[in-house]
Amino acid sequence: MRQLYFIVVILFLLSITAYGQGSGPGIRGARAAGLANASVTLSDVWAVGNNAAGLGQLNKPVVGVYAENRYLLSALNTVAVAAAMPLGAVENEKARNGVVGVEVQRFGGKLYSEQRVGAGYGYRGGLVSIGARVDMLQLSIEGLGSKQAVAVSLGGQAELVPKRLVFGAYLYNLNQAKLAEYQQERVPTLLKAGLSYRPTDKVLLNIETEKDVEQDADFKAGLEYRIIEKLALRAGFRTLTEEITGGVGFQAGALQIDYAAAWHAALGLSQHVGVGFVFEKK
Amino acid sequence: MRYTLLDRWVSGAKRQIGVLSVLLLAALAVQAQEYVRPPADLDRLTQELFAEIQSDQVPYEDLYETLLQYYQTPLNLNTATREELRGLLLLSESQITSLLDYRQQRGALLTLYELQIVPGFDVRTIYRVAPFVTAQTAGAGNALRGPFWQRVLKEDNNALFVRYERVLQDRKGYALAPLDSLGHGPTRYLGSPDKLLVRYRVSHTKDFSFGFTAEKDAGEQLVWNPSARRYGADFLSGHLVLQERGRLKTLAVGDYQLQFGQGLLLSSGLQVGKGAETITTLRRSSVGVRPYSSVLESTFFRGAAATYSLTPTVRATAFVSRKRVDANLQFAADSLAEFDEYSSGFLLTGFHRTPNELANRQALRETVAGGNLSYSSRSSNFAAGLTAVDTHFDKAIQRRPELYNQYEFRGRHNLALSAHYSYVRGNVLLFGETARSSSGGLGTVNGVLASVAPTVDVSALMRHYGRNFHTLYGNALSENTRNINESGLYLGVKLRPVARWEVSAYYDQFWFPWLKYQVGAPSRGHDWLVRLTYAPTKTSLLYAQVRTRQKEYDADGNRPLPLPVPTVRRSLLLYYDANPTTTLGLRTRVQGTRYRENEGAWRSGYVLAQDVSVGVSRRLRLTARYALFDADNYDTRQYVFEQDVLYAFSVPALSGQGTRIYGLAEISCTRSLTLWLRLAETSYRHQRTVGSGLEEIGGSRRTEFKAQARYRF
Repeated sequence: MRQLYFIVVILFLLSITAYGQGSGPGIRGARAAGLANASVTLSDVWAVGNNAAGLGQLNKPVVGVYAENRYLLSALNTVAVAAAMPLGAVENEKARNGVVGVEVQRFGGKLYSEQRVGAGYGYRGGLVSIGARVDMLQLSIEGLGSKQAVAVSLGGQAELVPKRLVFGAYLYNLNQAKLAEYQQERVPTLLKAGLSYRPTDKVLLNIETEKDVEQDADFKAGLEYRIIEKLALRAGFRTLTEEITGGVGFQAGALQIDYAAAWHAALGLSQHVGVGFVFEKK
Repeated sequence: MRYTLLDRWVSGAKRQIGVLSVLLLAALAVQAQEYVRPPADLDRLTQELFAEIQSDQVPYEDLYETLLQYYQTPLNLNTATREELRGLLLLSESQITSLLDYRQQRGALLTLYELQIVPGFDVRTIYRVAPFVTAQTAGAGNALRGPFWQRVLKEDNNALFVRYERVLQDRKGYALAPLDSLGHGPTRYLGSPDKLLVRYRVSHTKDFSFGFTAEKDAGEQLVWNPSARRYGADFLSGHLVLQERGRLKTLAVGDYQLQFGQGLLLSSGLQVGKGAETITTLRRSSVGVRPYSSVLESTFFRGAAATYSLTPTVRATAFVSRKRVDANLQFAADSLAEFDEYSSGFLLTGFHRTPNELANRQALRETVAGGNLSYSSRSSNFAAGLTAVDTHFDKAIQRRPELYNQYEFRGRHNLALSAHYSYVRGNVLLFGETARSSSGGLGTVNGVLASVAPTVDVSALMRHYGRNFHTLYGNALSENTRNINESGLYLGVKLRPVARWEVSAYYDQFWFPWLKYQVGAPSRGHDWLVRLTYAPTKTSLLYAQVRTRQKEYDADGNRPLPLPVPTVRRSLLLYYDANPTTTLGLRTRVQGTRYRENEGAWRSGYVLAQDVSVGVSRRLRLTARYALFDADNYDTRQYVFEQDVLYAFSVPALSGQGTRIYGLAEISCTRSLTLWLRLAETSYRHQRTVGSGLEEIGGSRRTEFKAQARYRF
């Protein structure tokens, strides 16, 4: 009985959070989390999940680890590992044959969990980057078994004003993968598009709209200010979940450490931690 | 400066050379010094001109097509009159004046590049008009280009279009239905679900235009039955137009359109109404007699028209038209009734798919005759004219005996007379038209446009259409779909505060002194729009637009007395369009609507659409869209412009939840043959059927296929 109660609570929470998990694309990286997930124009290693087009701008191999806890409930934990690798020679800060990325992610606890293995590819040509990603998803509910699905995603980024105004769009699960015939349950299909305005090299202002076919539209905004080169402060909000976020990022040599906290008006605190490591060329 | 612009043009042309390469090459071959005309981005043009679709009672797709057809024949800047330049809808009055002054002082433009040194022409304006104009200097007379038949045979602007369209799913209207014992069954469409269009046209501005169009809508039959006036395709149209034959300025035989004054009596479909362009689209231009080659089955004349130049400043136009229109005929049950046989109104859809629709086909014969006499001063600063339109029906029109129809047109005959004027002085343009119909009803529309500063344009327009004013072919600016029972005041402004930024806004207030359909008392409302446009680079455009419209409709529920209550529709549109590289185009559209009735709950609708267009090679261009939509109900349905095959238009109304996807391929097979293929699918969530009535589809998807071929001779 307690188990059943717990499942009901979790499903309720999932329906309130109304995005993200439930096999959606979710949040990737504590930097994105600090910016209220207005991340469609970003180009760090977590672009593998946020917008594969952003991978195209990486010019060094990178690995990242990310952990997330929602509302202080251990059943809503997410852990992810990602790696990205430029292919071919790097010229003019871009890899000639594009960049591949892989990601392994797990969300949930014992009763309900989602596992995901994703592979992405991004290519940058001039001021435009394009990317694609394939996800193998598995949903498991204890006692009910598990379901698998494949989701294909596409993304693009374009510099409208070089280095100052960047546009990004990402379409997750364009094939509208079905999880169950019952009530036509599908992996969410989601389109997000946004702009990033970068008036100086230190400031980044992102705005974004996101639409899940079956949920209300979400509007997100995030601001990043790099006080000194090694330290960045972040803040953001999103309208659909009514969350306010804040974050901080340090750079220590090849390590990039980010932390973000988000406050949900009804459900409280979520925390996000990420560590990235860049393999510098010897 | 000249070279940079030349480079831009050339690179712009290269970018989309696949689109109109044939045209461009041909243009080059004919006139080596002529610049490479950039292909028309009709999609962007409509985005800039139109604000938002307001109702589904108007066949927008056909209306837009009529407008796009107008841009098919490029206007020669060296011979165009002020009215014709106004008709482009893209030039401000001060730009037109300075172009005319320039032409007078320096002679004809040698190439379009010369536009850069015409005062008041900025790069953006030149980019916008370039696809639709030429600067030919082959002398004033057409005769210098050779004998008439050679001119026709050698004309590059000629093309045969064949278009095919079909919804792939089975629809109820095409399904077999069981018959009852009397052999009667439910209504079904008589024809096949294929839609076909064939159109040929050859035209040269200020010289000639010949063309024909044949169309069969989905559900209509291809039948040869002369006794029922059915000759193959359901809609047939053709025209022969000659222009500039000495004092005979225009002679049209066949199907034609007329536009004079502010369109109060005669308006040809070249209007965009209240839109994001708040200045130049407000006034109409007296373009006169124009060839008709669209498929809107109701807004044209069939017969002959001629414009004759009495003196260099006075022109007379006479026209006569006789055709049959669709109407629902009824017979009076009461022998004391005013009319034994009458029609309750015109049917404008042009569909003849079911036995009922066929019975109404061409049931009413309409004879129209009239004319226009116009004076235009030598400088063309002042123009004025008189218009008369006399309409006669062979059966009387009598609308349903409802209170809101009290003052509508009834009877067999309507004579409408009007006077129009326009006067430019300095930076101010005054224009207007006033008309009276047989019923004694008056209609008047008067406006002013002023460039108060180089960066500020303002406009104002006042209108009053009496509740008993009857104009059957007029379409001046109004909130209602017809010019009746309305008064209004419109104020518009356009600012360019800093380079690359533009703000346009309007506020429109309107009153309806008599009842309307679903409005059981006199009512009023307002409508405002603000659009902020930013063009960060030459090839990119961002805009944000807010629009709010408040109107009164009868409250729901059974009341002893109708009570109109205010309903508010508020919409937001964010649009982004850029070509980051020469082969790639990106467009993003976010639009949301909130709607509520009388302080009730807000309903909302939302669409997010991403378009990508790639020039794969010189011969192939691919365009695709993925859109997600979510609208609570029919009131918050979302209309989204879609790219379509050339000159076609697609504006589906999306409501419910789901996705809308389309792909479009444009293939230049040879120099003369271009193909377009388009597949579009709307897939709904949580729906077992799509559509209603005979259009109902079992399942949750609707897929449309369209193919078009263009052959140039």
